[in-house]
Amino acid sequence: MSVELLDDLEAGELSVEFEGEEPDVVLEWAIEHFAPRIAISTAFQKDGAVLLHMAYAIDPAIQVFSVDTGRLPQETYDLIDAMRERYPELNLELVAPAAQQVTALVKKDGPNLFYRSVENRLLCCQVRKVLPLQRHLAGLDAWITGLRRDQWATRSDIRKVEIDHDHGAIVKLNPLAEWTEEEVNDYVRDHELPYNALYDKGYTSIGCAPCTRATKAGEDLRAGRWWWETNAPKECGMHCAIETGGLEHELRALVGEDDHASR
Amino acid sequence: MANEAREAPTLDLVLKRNSVERLKREKSPLAILDELPALIAGGYEQVDEEDIVRLKWWGLYHDKPKIGTFMLRVKLAGGIVSPKQLRTLGEISNIYGRGEGELSTRQNVQLHYLELGALPDVFDRLHATSLTSAGACGDTVRNITGCPLAGLSHDELFDPTPVLEEAAAFLYGHPTYSDLPRKHKISITACADSCAAPEINCVGLVGAIHDGREGFGVLVGGGLSSVPRIARDLGVWVPKEEAVEVLVAILDEWREDLRYRVSRVKARLKFMVDDIGADGLRLRVEGRLGRALESFTLPQAPPPGNHLGVHDGYVGVPVHLGLITGDQMIALADLGHEVRLTRQQNLVVVTDDDISADLARIGLPLGGSALRGDAIACTGEPHCNFSVTETKTRMDALVQLLEAQFGREADGLRLHLDGCPHACAQHWVGDLGFQGTTVRDAEGRRHQAYDVFVRGSLDRPAAIGRPLFRRVPTGELDAAVVGLVQGWIGARSAGETFRSFCDRTSDDELGQLAGREISVGRAA
Repeated sequence: MSVELLDDLEAGELSVEFEGEEPDVVLEWAIEHFAPRIAISTAFQKDGAVLLHMAYAIDPAIQVFSVDTGRLPQETYDLIDAMRERYPELNLELVAPAAQQVTALVKKDGPNLFYRSVENRLLCCQVRKVLPLQRHLAGLDAWITGLRRDQWATRSDIRKVEIDHDHGAIVKLNPLAEWTEEEVNDYVRDHELPYNALYDKGYTSIGCAPCTRATKAGEDLRAGRWWWETNAPKECGMHCAIETGGLEHELRALVGEDDHASR
Repeated sequence: MANEAREAPTLDLVLKRNSVERLKREKSPLAILDELPALIAGGYEQVDEEDIVRLKWWGLYHDKPKIGTFMLRVKLAGGIVSPKQLRTLGEISNIYGRGEGELSTRQNVQLHYLELGALPDVFDRLHATSLTSAGACGDTVRNITGCPLAGLSHDELFDPTPVLEEAAAFLYGHPTYSDLPRKHKISITACADSCAAPEINCVGLVGAIHDGREGFGVLVGGGLSSVPRIARDLGVWVPKEEAVEVLVAILDEWREDLRYRVSRVKARLKFMVDDIGADGLRLRVEGRLGRALESFTLPQAPPPGNHLGVHDGYVGVPVHLGLITGDQMIALADLGHEVRLTRQQNLVVVTDDDISADLARIGLPLGGSALRGDAIACTGEPHCNFSVTETKTRMDALVQLLEAQFGREADGLRLHLDGCPHACAQHWVGDLGFQGTTVRDAEGRRHQAYDVFVRGSLDRPAAIGRPLFRRVPTGELDAAVVGLVQGWIGARSAGETFRSFCDRTSDDELGQLAGREISVGRAA
């Protein structure tokens, strides 16, 4: 690992400087400083499409990755094809979960374990999404996400530049932090970006097929994720920077995953 | 950035960008207390995420993991707590919690593992002894801190307690001042060493005698978190009779300026002082007051003391890592003396009696090392959802190690350890500051690690520490710390502080002492 990463002091000052700046200003700075050890993480939601479009204009070689949990909706795979067509030089990697772990998980609790308890759901998220993400991030100095403050009450304090203490203290960039859903939608429309067909069917946040459904008018944007759970935070454990709420730590406390505690 | 020229945003933009501002306007967070019976009837599982946020305004945070129990932070203005109140806190901890409690760096008491259903009883008990948690968390005036010896110390300029109590009585739970752009921290002292760390508060009133009158100089815009600032001198002197009026005028200037409500990242008063300067803030405050304030420059105070040990009129009791049980609180209350909490997570018992045997029996013995008494660690594991590393337990190991290696030679060293950048244990201003992070080994396994900071201090002039080593795996931390402390003990002149030693020693030399490569900052 490089020792020339940002520390919290630098990240804090940068996050203040970048307030009020457009997302592409943050992206340009980030690419200049961290390429090639920087990547966009996307689940091909509208926010991801906006970031990808902006970043591709700055540097078509920018790494883009997405965790393919194996349970994504067909519409998402269709969108991936559309993206590959729209951006011919797209440097996209689909990151798969470890086959051995998925096999063990399904053997023990069945393919639809997530409907039965929050612990089961978090375990499934862990195996199919969080661990592959962690493995991929281990090779990076910085990652770029589409997190926005208006997505959830626990995301209200997201900074545009954070040190991701959950992922080896690499830099995490959230260029869209200030944008609203409306601004994202406008951008997608104005630039005619390809988007997931599920949005037109009333979906507002898209994850795995069995765990996502359309939301009703007035419902929270992420209410369609793990809709059968009444209280658990609508987070899978991917985004657990300090300001985002620390679900990854909670996951460890709940399911006893302890690589973190090793001394 | 030319923020001064920045146009003030509209309320529409504020509400569009900032969900917490929306949440506060949809329903006052303070109103959530009246809804507790309904929330309890519906069950914890049904409580909206937004109502969980509102509960912060009554000092309630999720414990970890978030499966139904809460931490309660109780505000003790100036850290003052009566025996009756201390007994109540101990009883709440024992009956409704798991007998655990901790003393915080803002002179609060924090209890853990309180269930939603217990909260009405808990609040009844608090209010019956005039305790409050109103505004202990959330966008409020947090606990107002002061010198634990206020009214007791022989070398204080005057007793500022009436001013502190007036400010707390007015601001705590006041609807207007519970809708601030973000949290707001005030300290009020008139002791000779201005011991409440005004430099890292949003507003610090620092006692000063001017033309024979009692009053305060004013520091503004300090604060830590991930964007630390040392407070700047507002350049005025305020007679003590007008102190609360000026505190409120500063609050109003900030509170009504929508520039500080668009983004929570830039909401604290320190950013307003960055934007318009202490001079600019002074002009605006004077404009609001309709009068000029007397110009004044605060003199440099001596280093802040820790108040430990037996003294005339009080006994300073070290509480290792700030951890105190419900039983200990009750036993202390049984002694019948007023208690004061300190910024160093310790306490002071107000008495002339010899209570050393009682303290030993309670499990809070006197006579430990100053190193131990001065060490501060944040809540962290296992309670706090933000922390990424061990905190109090790791600090305990460090203290034991240094005591074993150096005995009392390491006294005077102030260790501050945090599990995240929020800096509750003020790692930016410790002699040796540690902030939790993680690091990956060659096999990709994650390990707890710490960034190590030096040259920070609350000794005057106060300074923010700079990173010396980054991402030191916890297993390598002991050796690095021992090397640095050994180097200081070996090379210090009589009474020289660790900070002074670091100031005159190069990073490379410090790296050699610790047996590590120093971190190279990347130009941002």
